[in-house]
Amino acid sequence: MKRITRRWAVLGAIAILACIATGGVIAAQFRTFDNPDRLANAIDKDPLVLAADIPAAGGAARHSVFVQTTSTGHVCLWDVPSGQPRLRQGGCNSADDPLAGRPLSVSFAYDGGPSVASVRDARLIGLAATNVATVEVVMNDGTRRTIRLKRARVGGDEYFAFGYRFHVGDLRRGIEPVAVVALDESGAEIDRQTTGFNG
Amino acid sequence: MKRLAVVAVLLLASFILASAAVAAIYAGPRQWYAGQTASTGFSPSWVRNAFGTYGSGYDKTVTFIDNKSYSWHNTVRNTSGWTETYAPYSPFFQITDKGHCKANVGSFWGSCNIY
Repeated sequence: MKRITRRWAVLGAIAILACIATGGVIAAQFRTFDNPDRLANAIDKDPLVLAADIPAAGGAARHSVFVQTTSTGHVCLWDVPSGQPRLRQGGCNSADDPLAGRPLSVSFAYDGGPSVASVRDARLIGLAATNVATVEVVMNDGTRRTIRLKRARVGGDEYFAFGYRFHVGDLRRGIEPVAVVALDESGAEIDRQTTGFNG
Repeated sequence: MKRLAVVAVLLLASFILASAAVAAIYAGPRQWYAGQTASTGFSPSWVRNAFGTYGSGYDKTVTFIDNKSYSWHNTVRNTSGWTETYAPYSPFFQITDKGHCKANVGSFWGSCNIY
């Protein structure tokens, strides 16, 4: 009887250890890919720094591009309607690597859609490394839109920040963005990221 | 055999409890493949919608879809580790919408979160 009880106790202990290990693995997974609640709280509280502007146009309000370094170790880039800092559209990467290992990090935001004909406003924001000389948006008709870059400091490092609003006239004619490219000083393409409306 | 069953049940219970401990996740954490989508139910209470991934570099979209025109609102598409947008708001009428997220590439590990 005693032997059987001991055996069950050992089995129970193994099971508990296995549970703890499983929970630990799962918890580690959440931590690694950003604890959603912790990051969301930090985004709510941590200060925003203005990096670029998107002027009002065609009835659409002015927007601002903000950089936010969070207490959770992230750098976030936000597209925010003027004077409404809680209305954020964008994203965050690790502060150790704000561009996620590339020369360019972009975020595309639009209202309306998903079909291009019903889009009312579309904007692009981004951060670029200082070896990027030019950022261009490639449209589906083959034309390109050059984006003005503005110097920005993030966590002691220099970057370029930008914000761009697409012409509603282009969208009405079915001319829409398909990619964003970064060019170096020689004009060589050093990064390309697919974007666009994708319902 | 019985003992194995007990251990298996305990492991499953711990997995479910660990998953349930993280609030506001409506899809995942799981492996995502290109073209896969997920949505919440319709509600006037949603405030923000976010897609978090294991690492950065995965093209994905978050948006809100209203329950009248089924139009998309405040859509964001990027490759950040955390992609977020806010719910549409009107001071004049209530907007009922659902959070929606989409993986534009695959495969990666992540979850869609609603607040």
